[in-house]
Amino acid sequence: MNCIITIELGTNAVRVFAFDLDGNEIGSQRGYCPTLHTGPDYSEQDPDHMFITMLYSLKNLLTEYVHPGKYKVSTICFSSSMHSVLAVDKTGTPLGNAITWSDNRAKKIAQELKDSELGKALYTRTGTPLHPMSPLAKISWMKEFDKERFKQTSKFLSIKSYIIHQLTDKYLIDYSIASATGLLNIHDIKWDQDALNFAGIKKSSLPELVPILTEAGKLKKAYQNSLGLTADTRIIIGSSDGCMATLGDGVMGEGRATITLEDSGAVRVMGARMLEDDKQRFFNYLLTEDCYVSGGPTNNAGSVFEWFARQFGDCKNAFEIDYSIHDLMEEASKVSAGSEGLLFLPYLLGERAPIWNANARGSYFGLNIKHEKKHFTRATIEGVLYGVYNIGKTLEEHRNITSLSVNGSYGTLSLCSKMIADIFNKPVALRSNSHSVSYGTYLVAATEMGVYKNLDEAAKTVKLPDEYLPDKTNHETYMQYFKIFEQLSTKLAPEFEIIANIS
Amino acid sequence: MHQFVFQQGLSGALRPFPHILEIGVKKIQSIQLNSFPESRADCFRIFHIIEGKFEWCINGKIYMLFPGDTAIISTGTLFGNSKNILEIGSIAWLNIKLGDSRDRLFAAGSNSGLNTGEQQTILKVLLMNSMPVISKLTETARILHAISYELQHQEIGYLTRVSQLTDEMFITLTRYLSHQKDPVRNFPQVFMQLEQELRKDLSHQWTVEEMAAIVGMGSTMFNERVKTFTGFTPLNYLINIRISEAMKLLKKNNINITDIALDTGFYSSQHFSTTFKKLTGYTPREFRTNYLTADKD
Repeated sequence: MNCIITIELGTNAVRVFAFDLDGNEIGSQRGYCPTLHTGPDYSEQDPDHMFITMLYSLKNLLTEYVHPGKYKVSTICFSSSMHSVLAVDKTGTPLGNAITWSDNRAKKIAQELKDSELGKALYTRTGTPLHPMSPLAKISWMKEFDKERFKQTSKFLSIKSYIIHQLTDKYLIDYSIASATGLLNIHDIKWDQDALNFAGIKKSSLPELVPILTEAGKLKKAYQNSLGLTADTRIIIGSSDGCMATLGDGVMGEGRATITLEDSGAVRVMGARMLEDDKQRFFNYLLTEDCYVSGGPTNNAGSVFEWFARQFGDCKNAFEIDYSIHDLMEEASKVSAGSEGLLFLPYLLGERAPIWNANARGSYFGLNIKHEKKHFTRATIEGVLYGVYNIGKTLEEHRNITSLSVNGSYGTLSLCSKMIADIFNKPVALRSNSHSVSYGTYLVAATEMGVYKNLDEAAKTVKLPDEYLPDKTNHETYMQYFKIFEQLSTKLAPEFEIIANIS
Repeated sequence: MHQFVFQQGLSGALRPFPHILEIGVKKIQSIQLNSFPESRADCFRIFHIIEGKFEWCINGKIYMLFPGDTAIISTGTLFGNSKNILEIGSIAWLNIKLGDSRDRLFAAGSNSGLNTGEQQTILKVLLMNSMPVISKLTETARILHAISYELQHQEIGYLTRVSQLTDEMFITLTRYLSHQKDPVRNFPQVFMQLEQELRKDLSHQWTVEEMAAIVGMGSTMFNERVKTFTGFTPLNYLINIRISEAMKLLKKNNINITDIALDTGFYSSQHFSTTFKKLTGYTPREFRTNYLTADKD
């Protein structure tokens, strides 16, 4: 029997899944590969550690599930986090670590560019918000502050391009990952000359640009042998984690949006038109040449829950983040919607969409003498979700959204899903037993194999039942508080700046 | 405790214990100028505050020490008082000469009941320590007091007791310091620190017990936590790091393969070659050749 393997290269782990051709999960493995913080503002990953972790996890998956189940691997398809940059020399040897999306070293360059005329034009053409996350800003930083590395660089890769090159010797970058570099014109799908000039690089310094269904070359003989795979195993380049999660939830066409809540989060829609926003609040990434995944990212999702659990959770039992989050949700469910007037601004890590203010801070507001610890717990969760709603609401200025799906380890917690339904006043669906990114990756691979006619058809087969229906009374309560939340988020901007200048 | 000082070389009582350079108790009744200028510690020093309030500068950072506090000053640490004075109060201290290799906790000639692995682990934890002041560690006072008693009375068995007590002192400090990391609550962070330690000393033949001690966990629990957190057993996770480091070194043509094997912690080039091939499909030699012939355009 044939099977499909999906590999997700994330910033903390590599996840590998095996699916049969109908999309049933055969098995999965997860291998940890940390983000390294080698200096203030620095977030990096060791590309070779990533590669070995990927190989080892893949090998474990094969020996544990695939080979004993007598499956033949027909396709391996990839997804990865966006915005990574890895410089390699002419032999393909990495010059230092890969710089990941959360790296902030290019913040000054990004801000200056954002405020300029060129910045505005680039945003419109590339779809990527001008932010230190974007490879455009990172490469420009290298040009200015890491001249030696910049000079030695033969190619600027994404982490996925590097891993694929290890396996097949080809330097490739798919449309999705390329569209998140800030260097690609997403209208004509060519590298943008002005962006390249700003970064000080040539087209030849980037990998070859290919659609996400492209076969990325042949698996080298040595890996066929060590993994026990046949020579005809197809390696498909695939897309980015964000696009895959959106596809995996079947968010194709009008009316639907998906909310991902991991450590950070995003609200996304998918469609044939990009979102044009003169305030540069959204990203527009390519799934295919005529399909855009658009939306807004937040810095403050699971990280904030985890922070709260760590600082204020009960220490009765051994601390496991899963248990502790569970306790948190349980405590929050004892308080009614609106936390009896306690509000929380969740901007512990600054904020991206929709306020795009790196100086933003967290704050509890509306505290009175009756509030107890449990109110703080609920207010914290509500605050994070108001932040998410704030993105959704801005998206609704451009798109009509009638239903939602949620994914990610925090989004699928039942209290969170329920609260999202109430706050948005829309039904919420979710994939109960699988991982949206990997399922999206399966859909891409299966489409490439001809199981589905095209991605549209593939997405349409995804039927997620509505698990949570909105409660009107709760929604009205939430909206009263959200109004204050929205006002505080903008009103406090001058104070955010003052405090950022102090410490 | 009464005031006293024993110094190695001057006090016969210390002769059987070459690792104890000095032990003493001092009561400071008036402030004397230049009594405590900042200088580099020439040995490993443990202080216990009995009375008074002291302001010490350790490695450029100011610490307030109160009765019951313990200060741990590693060899080479800059410490003293910023006004050069030792404030009024009383303190007890113990100066230890550490071993000159990473397999020996104490100076040659001293007796320790700790086995080599334990000594290595204790040294690692102490060298990594970034918390020079521990508050309210009553054990330090008890052990210092017991050592002084043994040295002053020299009753039957004191040779054994003193060695046991210095072992105990180091076990106590190590356990305390590694528990401080609160590994259960902060596993991702603690694991990150462990990874840094592993990478710093990759040629070392790490055991699971050592790794567990560094993060302050028992080895059974450590094993489980690492497996759920990383997807790998601790030793397999370590192999990931070893191989990825080896790949980096192989891409540089100037280091020979046996050296790479040993530097990255394999006990022979054969062991390296088999492990490397099992995981990557290539022998280290093939891997290097591929790189050197690749992309020469």
